[in-house]
Amino acid sequence: MRVLLLVALLIQAATGFGLAQTYAPRSPVPRTTSLPELRAIAARREIEERFTIGLDLQARGDWEAARGEFEQIVVLHPSEPQGSTAHYDLAIAYSNLHRNDDAARELRAAIALDPDFLAAMANLVSIDLARGDLREARKVADRYVALAPASARALYSRGIVALQSGDNAVARADFGKLLSENPSYAVAHYDLALAEERLGRYDAAERELQSALVLAPAYARARFALGVVLLREGEHAKARDEFARATVDAAGDPGLANIAAAMRDSIKN
Amino acid sequence: MMEGVSTHLPRLLVAIALALGILCSGRFAVAAATSLDDLIAGNLVPSAAPALLGPITSAGRVGWACKPERSAAARGYRQAELPADPSSP
Repeated sequence: MRVLLLVALLIQAATGFGLAQTYAPRSPVPRTTSLPELRAIAARREIEERFTIGLDLQARGDWEAARGEFEQIVVLHPSEPQGSTAHYDLAIAYSNLHRNDDAARELRAAIALDPDFLAAMANLVSIDLARGDLREARKVADRYVALAPASARALYSRGIVALQSGDNAVARADFGKLLSENPSYAVAHYDLALAEERLGRYDAAERELQSALVLAPAYARARFALGVVLLREGEHAKARDEFARATVDAAGDPGLANIAAAMRDSIKN
Repeated sequence: MMEGVSTHLPRLLVAIALALGILCSGRFAVAAATSLDDLIAGNLVPSAAPALLGPITSAGRVGWACKPERSAAARGYRQAELPADPSSP
């Protein structure tokens, strides 16, 4: 009987210890009787807990529930850096719920609170590209590059915005700078080639596409682009060969494969 | 008078037919060139925008533990989490 009682007591103690361990380690110990201070402590505690729950929900892909948690944090107006972080995390939830306008608004709010928030700028450029807002994307990308001129993502993002908006000179400069640090990045060679092709610099475009294809021989879109550049240079037979190979390499992309085949067949031997 | 009309009419019809033929073939040629350029332009598209950087904890972006902020500032394309698969840019 005594042994059983001892075991029961030990189990209860272990359970109590376990429960004590579930308290958040950062939970502040109230050492005040002031009501405003107690309210502030409770708010900080709520913000911490909602962050933990929201991030856990995002990790599990429950974007709707995560949205609710981060919206509640934003309503509490936390101080920095939690304020801008809450807007940033809320934007990720909105984007995954296909609410990109709301996501852009939250990222603008994050940057307003923390004007040097690079990750927020990076995500806002990507979301603006998805929304088709090239004007804002370019404005944010310009600031991103100004703050982090050696950042690969800043250069890549502005390069893509510039290509999409027809500013081929800026695209050429950004992808060139990105490649000076990352010469083995095949995708940047391809995008630089597009800028060169649009600027009528076919030799340079051909060189970049050859570099991309050395790095990634099955890069079907680069192969197709090389065919186009060779066609512009009057190299019909070589262009036909490249389109023929692009047709094979683009097997996973039926649209590109069909167009490459049509281009191949349109060139007479 | 009637004889003159009968000889001129077929010539006139042939001339009109030829003119229409030239006009149509010219239009088709222009249309073909336009569609080829459209075809090329529609497929020489820039690569995809980068995927979103991940969430940040309540500690905020400051500090080395913040991976998204480090990715945003990284010089290398892999650490920057840029599109990596060249088969589907």
